[in-house]
Amino acid sequence: MAMRSQVYEWDGSRGSSALSSTDAGKSVSIFIGGKGNNITKPAETTATQFVVIEEIASTPSYFANAQDGATTSVRGLAGSTSSAYFGPLAYTQIVINTTEYFLDPDNIANSGVPGAASPYPRSVNFQPSFNLHPTVYVLPGQTFDVRYTHFSTNAGYDAGDQQCFVKYTLYDGPDSLIANRLLEMGITVNPGNVDWYKRSLLSRASAPAPNGA
Amino acid sequence: MAMRSQIYEWTNLSTSGSNSSIRMTTDPFEKTVSGDKKTDIFIGGIGTNITKPAETTATQFVVIEDIATSAHADSAVQVRINTTDYFQNPDITDQVGVPGLASPYPRGTASDGNISPIAGDNVLPSFALTPEIYVLPGQTYSVLYTSNNTTGVSGSGSASLTTCVACFVKYTLYDGPDSLIANRLLEMGITVNPSNVDWYKRSLLEQQSMATATANGGVA
Repeated sequence: MAMRSQVYEWDGSRGSSALSSTDAGKSVSIFIGGKGNNITKPAETTATQFVVIEEIASTPSYFANAQDGATTSVRGLAGSTSSAYFGPLAYTQIVINTTEYFLDPDNIANSGVPGAASPYPRSVNFQPSFNLHPTVYVLPGQTFDVRYTHFSTNAGYDAGDQQCFVKYTLYDGPDSLIANRLLEMGITVNPGNVDWYKRSLLSRASAPAPNGA
Repeated sequence: MAMRSQIYEWTNLSTSGSNSSIRMTTDPFEKTVSGDKKTDIFIGGIGTNITKPAETTATQFVVIEDIATSAHADSAVQVRINTTDYFQNPDITDQVGVPGLASPYPRGTASDGNISPIAGDNVLPSFALTPEIYVLPGQTYSVLYTSNNTTGVSGSGSASLTTCVACFVKYTLYDGPDSLIANRLLEMGITVNPSNVDWYKRSLLEQQSMATATANGGVA
């Protein structure tokens, strides 16, 4: 199991301390932020691991036309009667060691990918505008984090109201070494290319020696 | 992290006391956007803004891959590089750009942004930004939102019903050595994308190893 597809789902309502309106506008780690379901220690790669983050997504939002002063929910997303937006106004940022991945055009880190652009869960009503290409590499020995920020306190804090999703591939042991080699060679690290590199190593090993022996 | 996928979202949302705010704020309010008027989504003074005009440094190269806006309020979005608008009419006159109905944000939204949307009313993109738009090192760019009607977008507290609109930009930022490669690809007439930048790096490495082999009399 040297190359494994992995997922992590976070829900702000889970765990011993649920996400609440006091957390609005604050960036919360979905791994160790103390809100929702968490893990035991920061997400990091060992010396023999290589992680490729392929997708991040969060609860979507809906931007409406002509709020009538009575509607509090559209397509399952809650809001306020005085606002024309529904859902948590959620964003997801990736942090590698201490560096935030997503920047605004003024080169200042922003809150990350909006849930409206990369929704979780996906449905006919909420479809992605964003795909994480190129993917994000977490090299051996690095720490990584995914941070969730919401800006609307009217979206609710029950199960399913504030969620985040991460899809990544974990390369372990020899496959981690191959992933590093591919990176040095300027080749995209993905399962297909790791398999290609293994095949090319095997074909070189089985090729006849130059002296005809 | 020399080649990074980036996004920018603009909404007509800000704090109660101000027409614009630097980035998103908690429980924001909708702001009025005048009709038939282009608004810079970065520094236009309405909704979520950034601190300075969007520009590339001498070591940055930006490829804009997708632009989208709300399907309602007759929304449209235009890209401007330095002072030149990208989308033009066939008679080379100015236009408002890509309609939100052709490139909706979010995808799957109702065509009229209705608060009681009809099931099955999901707008999908008719438009893809191919070829992409290159912002060369040292250039300034802006993305302009227009509500293409006389009434515009009504903010909270106005006489009309409140409306929220948004814009979305997806771009790839090439920085440092990757920016130099992007420039080289452009000179060679090759599309600048992550795969081609990686291909150029590989070809450089191959050339380097061949040169080493030749210098050593054929032994690497």
